[in-house]
Order: sequence, then structure tokens, then C-alpha cells
Amino acid sequence: MEIAFRNEGIYLPQIDLWLDPRALVEHAWLSHAHSDHARGLHSTVIGTRATLAIYRHRWPLPPGRLQQILPLNPNESLDWRGARLTPLRAAHILGAAQLLIEYQGERIVYTGDIKLRAPICGWPTQLVSCDRLIIESTFGLPIYQFLDASAARARIVLFAQETLAAGLTPVFLGYGLGRGQEIVHTLTQAGLPCSVHGAIAGLLPYYEAEGYEFPGWQPYQRRKVETSALVVTPGMQDSLAIPSAQVRVALVSGWAAVDSARARSGADVLIPYSDHASFPELLEMVHASGASHIDVVHGYTEPFARLLRLRGHNAHAAGTAVPTEVQV
Amino acid sequence: MNALALCAESVAAAPGRNEKIARVAAYLRTLSDDDLSRAVLYLSGQTFPASDPRKLSVGHATLRPALAEVTGWDLETIALCYREVGDTGEAFALLLRPLGHLTPLSLVEAEQLYLTLAAARRTAQKLDLLIRIFRTYHWLAIKYFLKAITGNLRIGLQQKMVEESLALATAVPVEQVRAAHNRSGDLARVARAARHGSLDSIEAVLFHPLDFMLAKPLDAAAELADPSQWLVEDKYDGIRAQAHIAHGQVRLFTRGLEEATAAFPEILLALAHLPGPLILDGEILAWRDGRALAFSVLQPRIARKKVSAKTIADVPVIFLAYDLLMAGGHLQFEVPVELRRRRLETLGLPHLAPQTSLHLREEIETHFQAARARGNEGLILKRSGSLYESGKRGGHWLKVKRPYGTLDVVVTAAEQGHGRRASVWSDVTFAVRAGDRFLNVGKAYSGLTDDEIKKLTVLFKAATLERFGRVSLLRPEVVLEVAFDGVQKSPRHKSGFALRFPRILRWRTDKRPEDCDTVDRVRELYESSLRS
Repeated sequence: MEIAFRNEGIYLPQIDLWLDPRALVEHAWLSHAHSDHARGLHSTVIGTRATLAIYRHRWPLPPGRLQQILPLNPNESLDWRGARLTPLRAAHILGAAQLLIEYQGERIVYTGDIKLRAPICGWPTQLVSCDRLIIESTFGLPIYQFLDASAARARIVLFAQETLAAGLTPVFLGYGLGRGQEIVHTLTQAGLPCSVHGAIAGLLPYYEAEGYEFPGWQPYQRRKVETSALVVTPGMQDSLAIPSAQVRVALVSGWAAVDSARARSGADVLIPYSDHASFPELLEMVHASGASHIDVVHGYTEPFARLLRLRGHNAHAAGTAVPTEVQV
Repeated sequence: MNALALCAESVAAAPGRNEKIARVAAYLRTLSDDDLSRAVLYLSGQTFPASDPRKLSVGHATLRPALAEVTGWDLETIALCYREVGDTGEAFALLLRPLGHLTPLSLVEAEQLYLTLAAARRTAQKLDLLIRIFRTYHWLAIKYFLKAITGNLRIGLQQKMVEESLALATAVPVEQVRAAHNRSGDLARVARAARHGSLDSIEAVLFHPLDFMLAKPLDAAAELADPSQWLVEDKYDGIRAQAHIAHGQVRLFTRGLEEATAAFPEILLALAHLPGPLILDGEILAWRDGRALAFSVLQPRIARKKVSAKTIADVPVIFLAYDLLMAGGHLQFEVPVELRRRRLETLGLPHLAPQTSLHLREEIETHFQAARARGNEGLILKRSGSLYESGKRGGHWLKVKRPYGTLDVVVTAAEQGHGRRASVWSDVTFAVRAGDRFLNVGKAYSGLTDDEIKKLTVLFKAATLERFGRVSLLRPEVVLEVAFDGVQKSPRHKSGFALRFPRILRWRTDKRPEDCDTVDRVRELYESSLRS
């Protein structure tokens, strides 16, 4: 099957389908609801129910505008223009999925954003074999090694407990969708008081709809001096009402695997936990796919593709670094 | 090393200076005398005491092949990982961690390994030893074992803070620890003495550089209270240096505490006869007909390991003494400036800087003009009765200098910083205009706020034309105003000139690249410096 890596995203011309397009297109597969993957009001959107629900929250449909919405469950196939599309569970954020495309006897898997280890909130990755694998490489260098979910939970709880016991306010930096809710889930499940910034709190109902519980969280109020843990988005620690001497900040992120993240984020404590695959997980996924052709997208595409080639794989960086024709 | 590494990791995460010092002190208290001596060295990024002549001579060229051998990663991947991490110790530790070696590294073993590495003559021996180390010890211990070699732990713990931690752990005033460290250059010995209350017994060591006393700028003569309390000397535009002399041996150390002995054989000859042990503070100057020549003339003599007879004939140099740090083996820090001067005068020095007393405030301008007429940079004022405050810029010495000038320049390349600055492009190369081209005249690392650096990094990334490892070539867009202390010839920069001590004054968001200064202006400044 022909696959075009374009500035606007990945395009499958034979079946007129875009994978995570960044520009407005006709028909789009949305692997998950992060805004660099699910954005804009395409004519057709295909994705899991949770992904499309959060996408709708972020991209409401204006009155009178029409959009074809095709929600699928994992492993529920859709026949699409001569191909069969099947979402496969991806451990990343709530609702994330890979897409298996079967077309004229060829099996192609597009991972979207993914990791192999089970997430705190979300489902584990389903491994299937394929002929061609399109895989992300956000952390495609061997320096990137992360905690698994249970170790990350333990570190989050310990940091909150120790900081509160010292009479200080623990502040967690986590992205608005995914990491933020996982931290809130971890804290509330451990019975710790926590105040949650609106950007994170606004999406908690979608997690509750999938069965996750967050007992006792409070909305964060900017002017109030908190005596509970705070969960905010990165950068916000500078605008808190509490004096910085009363605050200890933890960054929960894959980038926290490297010490310089401390200076970059302003955090005191680094908790290296990601919703992307660590380097060994990426290798394991490539190996498990059995694919004879691997395309690497996002992040360290060229170094990771090179390392795969050194291991005997037929792998190529398919980033946007090489612009192809421009779609009008 | 394992416990030291855990301490260091906890220091990295500690909020604030005091908490960091408290954590180091708590760790130091748990150690035996021998381990205390080792730990203070390694925590301050040294493998041997500063006064110890031994050198490890271990760099990328040995470390990376050893890591490649142990981990199987190719050199290109190792270089890329280093670039992303910004620190050799940390990058290596991250690549070694998956191997799961668990053997702990004790401080005494670490010391043995450093000694063996230093003693190894051939690269192959060093390589074998490093491979054995990487195959054996716990990754976290290796992280800090290597950081001590590269000289910077990057945990927000400067050497001064290690001294403070040691003082706290041994209940000794920090000034005493600092002074003993300065005189001996041996923090390991100081640590043991601090614990045993015998810091006084630590004597000054010759042939190890002492911290220089520094001068504060005097911006306006009106700021000078009580003019009659000051002594006046010319400020010379050469290389500030210490001459250490004993038993016919002379060694020179510059302000950066680097050794510069080999570059100036005629100075060694001129000073060797002096009665030692003696330490002089003064200036290395290009000298002809009884006066100093411009710094740009001295330039071909700098930082050489060997110097030809022709160069010596072309650019004759002298050591002009202007203060006394040790005489007859006794440190002179506690001796008032007038008495130090009198002792200097009795030594029979080949060149001694003239000194006079100031009476009236108005005389500052007269002296300044006279100093400029002699080709010198300005004046140094020394306060009557003041002591030699090694390593301090305490206001007992004042400098009167005419600002050399500033230039508006455009940034043509930026480089990722290290450690704390690994994620930003903090080191910039800048250029002046030559017609419609831009020619580089220097590099600067300091002067901007963290916030400005962050913003500039975004602009630099957008303006990147090409990347070469850590360095990115940029479209000339960002204009900076830089201050500097002089102009010199440079084969390195395309303009043929380099600014001395450039520092960024401000980011000129109001100026466009075509508004920046020209290479002709730089040439003018250079030529006027030769005439003065």
C-alpha cells in the first residue's frame, strides 16, 4: 500500500485516509485526543469512543456544521474503501489506539503514540504482527528509561506524603490530558487531598465515564493558599499564590529521565514516567511486530531508524523533515 | 562512591543553598577521616588536590570507546546521547544502567582507580581500566566517579559550598577552611585538619596558585571618600600573574590559576636569582624602551607550550611586580599594604611598578591621564593599611578604567549549553557587518537572564540554517550589544579580529542586523589600540 508522509500528516491515497492529520482534511483516523494528533473539524473522523468524546469536548461542532463520526471499539473492524480498519488498544492516554489497516493482503499497523507498559489510566497495548509498522520514536535513544506505573504511583504518593509532612505544599506538573488525570487518580486513590487545575479537572468526567474514580478532589483556586497537593500543568508553578519557599515541585514526565529537566521545568524532584515507550519498549514492539518494513515518525526518527538498521531491520525515518508535495 | 552518589542526587533535588549544604554536611559527618578527605575532593569536582601535579588525562577519546566496548552502542549513538544529556557522567550512567552491574564502589577504591588512571602511560592501559570499571560497578557510582573527572557535578554545589559544608560538619569557621584551602590547594588535607582542629598547621605551599585579590571599579572620582587614604599605581594591560620562586626555580600562574611558565622563559631567567621562597603578584607585559606595549602586541606570546627565539626577540616580555604574597617562606596576607610595599622594594626586583600616594580627589584625573599617556589602561587604588584579601573583590582595591566601548553585533551561531543550560542555546557566536556579509568577531556566554536565553533559544531554533552537533548556524537576525576590553587579531574569526572578554550587555530588540557595527569600526579600534 502506498503511504505518503506529508507535512500535514500521514496519507493513504488508495483509501483516501489521513492518520492524525495536523491540517484540515476529508477523512481522518484519530489515534488519541492529544491536540497534536486530534485537531480540526475534518469531514469524517474515525477513532475509539473515548478519543472521539474528548476530541468533541476540545473541538465542539458549530451549529449547522456536519461531520461524520465513526466511533469504533478496540478490535471492531470497519470496512473502508476496500480496506479493513481495526483499532487496537494502545497504552498511552485514555482511549488511545493503534490502527491495523488490511489492504489487498498487506497488514499495516500505525502505532500512534504508544508505550508497552500498562498505564495508570488506560488500557494495555495489544501486540499484533504486521508487514509494515509505522512507529513513533519520541524517546528513541537508549538514555530514556522510565518507571513502570506501580513504581511511578509509589513515587508520587511518597513525594506528596513527605512534602505535606514537612508542612510544605507538593506541586505536581503534568500535562493537561493524560498525565494530569493519572496523578489525580494516584493521589485520590491513596486518600491524599488534592486540588486540581481546571485544564486537568475539566477532563476528569471522561475518565469517570470509563470507570475511573477520583474521590475527594477539589478544584484549584488561584488565590487560595492550599494545604493539599496541587496538580497543575507545566509552567504554572510560577503563578501560584503560595510563596515558592513553601512549595516543592515534582515533574512527572518522560523528560524527567534526564537531570537537566530540573532546570528546564523548575522542578525539584524528577519522576521519570511517560506515556510514551522507553527505548527498550520501542525495540520490543518493533521485534514483536515482525514487520519487514518500519517507518519511524516523531522525535528521534533518524537516530532510531539508524539503530534499527544496525540491528538488521529495514527501517527509515519518515519524519516531516523531508517535505513532500503540498496538499491544498 | 555509592553513598556519595546518593548524597549528590539528594543535593540536586534539595531546594536552596542552605539545604544543600546541610545535606552534604550530614553526609560528611558519617565518614572516617580518610573518606572525608576523599569525599570533599570528589564533591568539589576534583580527583586530586589542586596542588597535586598528577593529571588523569582522560577525555572523550578514551571514555567513549570504553563505553562502546562495554555497552555495544556505537560512537555516534554515544555522542548523540551525550548531546541530549549534556553531561558525560550522567549520559554514561544512563547507558550503563540497563546492564545492571551492582558492585558498589567505595571511596578508597575510587581513589585507587584515579591513581591507576593517572599512572597509566599509554591510552590502551587507560582504556582497559575504564572498560573494567564500566563492566563492574553500579551505574550511579560511575555517574559521580566520572563527574569528578570532568570537573563539575552539576548539582548546584559550587566549591565554596563544599567548603561551607565541611566547616559545618566539623564546626570550624568557614573563613578558616577557605583560607587553609587557598594556601595549601589541598582540600583533602584541609578536611582532615578541620576535623582535628589543626587548620593553623596547614602552611602555604609554593608552586600552587593562590587566589588573587581583585579590584572593584570606581565609576566616578566623586565616589571616593577620604582621598588621602589611598595609594596609586598604574593599571597595566597585560596578563595578571603570580610568580612563585624558590631555589632558582620559577613558575608563573595566571588569574585563571592556570600555569603559564613555559611561555615566558626570559621571565624565569630574570627572576630565578631572587631569594625564595617568594611569591609575587604582578603583570606579564610586552615591554620596550621602559614602557608597556599594548596587549595586542603581547598576544603572540600567550598560551604557548614552546616559544621560538625569534618570537622572544620580536616580543620581549617582563614580569612587573606590584604586590607581595610570600617572602622568606612566610605568607604576607596579614601584612598591611605599606609594609608589603617596603619589603618588595628591598628585594632588588628587575621591574617594580611605581607607586605614589593620593592627596586630593582631583589628582585622580591627572594620574589617570598620565597612566594613559604611558600606554597603560588606567589606575589601581590600594587603600592604606589594607591587607591582601586573597580571592576577594572587597573594595580595598579600586580600578579606574575607561570603558573600551561597545559594539552592536548580530548572532550567527548558537550552541547548546551544558548542565543546567543543556536545554537552551546559551553560547553565542556573533558577527559585525562587512558590506552585505557578516563576519564573526567573538563568542560570549554570559550577560543575559535565564528568561532571555529561553526566549532567544526559541528564536535561534526558528532561525537555524544547519546543525553541526551541538552548534547551529543561524540566519543573522538577533542583535546584541556587547562590551569588551579590547580588540585583538584572530586567525579563528573570519573578520580577522576577536573582542577581548566580550560580555552581552543587552538584547537589542530595537535593532536590525543591518544596523549593527561594521568590521571597519573594529579595525579602527584595533589600530588605535596599537597607537596608544
